[in-house]
Amino acid sequence: MNNLNDNIPLLEVRNLSKHFGPIKALNDLSMVVRRGEVVAVVGDNGAGKTTLIKALSGVYRPTAGELLLNGKPAIFSNPQQAREEGIETIYQDLALADNLSIGANIFLGREPMRRAFGFLPVLDRRKMAEAACSTMALLDFHVSRTETPVSNFSGGQRQAVAIGRAVYWDAQILIMDEPTAALGVPEQRKVLSLIHKLKAQGRGVIFVSHNLQDIFAVSDRIVVLRRGVLAGERQISETNHDEVVKLMVGG
Amino acid sequence: MCRRAILAAANAAIISITCGLSPAPAADRKFTVALIPGLTTDTFYTTMRRGAQIAADALGVELVFQGAPDFNPVLQVPVLDAVIARKPDAILIAPTDVTQLVEPLRKADDTGIPVITVDTFIGTGMYQIGSGNADFPLSSIASDNVLGGRMAARALADAIGGEGAVFVANNKPGISTTDQREEGFKTELAAHYPKVVVLETQFNENDANKAASQLQGVLARHPELKGVFGGNHFSALGAANGVQQAGKSGAVKVVAFDAPSGVVDDIDRGLIDVAIAQHPAEIGYYGVMSAYAHLTGQSIPVSIGTGFTVINKSNVHDPSIAKYIYAD
Amino acid sequence: MKQIITENIPTAPSKHVAPQADHADGTRTVMRYVADLRAWLFLAMLILGFEVWSRFSFGGTFVLNPFNLQSIAIFAVAPLLLAMGQTFVIIAGGIDLSAGFVMGLAAVVAAHVINWANPIMPMPMAVLTGTIAAVMLAGVPGMVNGLLVSRLKVPPFIGTLGMFGVARGVAFLLAGGTTVPVNNSFFAGLGNGRILSVPYIVILAAIFVLLMHYVLSYTRFGQHNYAIGASAQAARRAGININSHLLRLYILSGFCAGLAGVLYAARFSAGAAQAGEPLLLDCVAAVVIGGASLFGGSGTILGTVAGAFVIAVIQYGLVFTNVAPFWQFISVGVVIIISVLIDQTQRRMSGGRISE
Repeated sequence: MNNLNDNIPLLEVRNLSKHFGPIKALNDLSMVVRRGEVVAVVGDNGAGKTTLIKALSGVYRPTAGELLLNGKPAIFSNPQQAREEGIETIYQDLALADNLSIGANIFLGREPMRRAFGFLPVLDRRKMAEAACSTMALLDFHVSRTETPVSNFSGGQRQAVAIGRAVYWDAQILIMDEPTAALGVPEQRKVLSLIHKLKAQGRGVIFVSHNLQDIFAVSDRIVVLRRGVLAGERQISETNHDEVVKLMVGG
Repeated sequence: MCRRAILAAANAAIISITCGLSPAPAADRKFTVALIPGLTTDTFYTTMRRGAQIAADALGVELVFQGAPDFNPVLQVPVLDAVIARKPDAILIAPTDVTQLVEPLRKADDTGIPVITVDTFIGTGMYQIGSGNADFPLSSIASDNVLGGRMAARALADAIGGEGAVFVANNKPGISTTDQREEGFKTELAAHYPKVVVLETQFNENDANKAASQLQGVLARHPELKGVFGGNHFSALGAANGVQQAGKSGAVKVVAFDAPSGVVDDIDRGLIDVAIAQHPAEIGYYGVMSAYAHLTGQSIPVSIGTGFTVINKSNVHDPSIAKYIYAD
Repeated sequence: MKQIITENIPTAPSKHVAPQADHADGTRTVMRYVADLRAWLFLAMLILGFEVWSRFSFGGTFVLNPFNLQSIAIFAVAPLLLAMGQTFVIIAGGIDLSAGFVMGLAAVVAAHVINWANPIMPMPMAVLTGTIAAVMLAGVPGMVNGLLVSRLKVPPFIGTLGMFGVARGVAFLLAGGTTVPVNNSFFAGLGNGRILSVPYIVILAAIFVLLMHYVLSYTRFGQHNYAIGASAQAARRAGININSHLLRLYILSGFCAGLAGVLYAARFSAGAAQAGEPLLLDCVAAVVIGGASLFGGSGTILGTVAGAFVIAVIQYGLVFTNVAPFWQFISVGVVIIISVLIDQTQRRMSGGRISE
């Protein structure tokens, strides 16, 4: 990667606030995400995690504050814009069309077309299948039957497909909302290993979770929210479970 | 000046409303007669309405026409209840079920509103005989559908030269009128045309597409098929198309029951050979006439049978016949 | 153009947790194929059954009789056209109950417009004018359905039921409570003529079916239709404009019903408001027998074709083999139930996989 850019964070959040009438769901929050960095966001229910995700992914317009992508100010009025700027959100409930293949899910809404018989525009299924194979291979997931609907895959594999879609479209920042919550232990490990790969590819990951064990396994830094404000920020190497819990509950 | 005129008009309106509600009959006041058809979306009943309107205009009677879009007691009874609530002087109704309409109509009778059935009937159709069950309507004014079926049988048998295979294309079982036509058709053939073979009846649920397919199925199995009797409009329309699609126009004769306006073209083009027309306008006309006679203190017949007209290529454009083609 | 990263990726730190390739087990795959092809299997079994029956009971042939094939094809045209639009709608998780009366409305409009145009233009032009007017007008109830379902979030069952009533009322009003005869020999020829013993309407329907197959299986519209049926949420997050898709979807269904209505009017030389009323249930049944799920997300045009022919073959075959008429209702009902059972079984088995 370009060395000149290394000092500029991928994403910088400056004094971000989101108010719903008198309720200050998020107030004056600042944080950064650098290349190849996994930043965990933790907090109790109602601490402002979901509001933060939605503000970053273009669902909410912030009340105040600004976002900088690679040092340039960015304003998203809808999720499509955020996605075009390289911020991809992977939701807890996956957001896959279960009846479609991996390739079709990767390209959902942006399907490639080709011309059959030289004139008839048709879906380019081969391109979708090839992209599915190569992209999933990057995530160590080797697909043999490319036309199989994703409903036939396990929860971890489907999570990998959702991540694969973000990777294919070259998302620089992945926001992952409780990616391990609905999974069994072996599947959780697979997802954590996927996060390691994303980190190794130089992408930034915002990892929202309740599971401190997972957070300590993959994160570089941890941002703790409490009642809409920043309660603390620590390097993972310099903190422990007890301290994080204290920050969360305000002890 | 102006205000006085309005007041006078308002008074007149109030008086007329009061009169309309008063149960006491008076020869010089305007009667209201309600006509409730079996369904409002059928040209048979709209033609009946036309006949009723002509009688109403002649007598100075107000005619109210209210009904349901389907031939179904569940839909007809609420319409009937609403009409009873308006307290007309008499009700003319084509009951959609011989049994299910008895109690709803008894309500009208108990309120003092005379009931006359048109086209269809309740109970046995025998009224004022002291059986006390469903004999309270004053009169039944209808075509004899069994007779209509017999006439269709004669027309078809003659068209095919008195021998060969035929079948009945019918709407669906359980409707008194179409069942009676089929019954009359079969009875007549059995009695007088021993060389005519009647195949299994095909029910098409009023779907012309299905009626066409059924005709072709019967024809494929019985290439000797000579004729078909369509028990109602869509049965005949579909059967005629089935004959046409099979390239058998002329070889397989089609007799249709009822004569909506399209039947003229069908006869002209040779798709339908004979149509048995009922006289719905006549039913409506005599319905209103009978009601008026009763309301003005005359006695009326308990049963009036209206006739049929056989329409074919030779007479379809004859003005004395054309008046029997249904039209609003 | 964005590209996927192609540099060498460092090996995963913990090799043992790498996800494995998918491995669906053999019987499930077979079950899936059976489920996908069930309508065609039904059709083959039915035809075989009627053939055997015909040969044993009266020594005739069923399927080798070209007249039978022609008759069945003509019979299937109207329900098939309605079922085309219905397939799209059902795959997207909706239903269009108004289709039958929209067909009747189109038949009446076609009849009126052709009668109006007859004296002022050549017959084929009058037919073209009437056809365009009827199909376009059939798109209007479709558009209202689409707006109700997409913008106002009315459940499709309710919204299209309302439109069922409106289309029916308007059709009866326009028809004046009767059938509207059409006097245009070109139109009648279109509805009843044939080339090399194949009826024109069957050829038209076949072309239309191929077009619909293309739209569903080879275009973005079709792809998005499947995605919306499986998960509207996922489709929305993927950036698909669901409102506009639903609007176009119900308009498409209206067009299909409109075309069916025009062909009906051509065949019978008359427009009847109730023309499509009995076909509504048949077209939904064809879609379901054809392998679509009423929960949305699955189904194919070719499956629906087989489904429509299953119904046509049963009804025609039972007349041909001289079976008492009430068996027709029973047998169509039984086929629908078997079909749905296969769908449920297959669903349960693939569903079981997810929770493993």
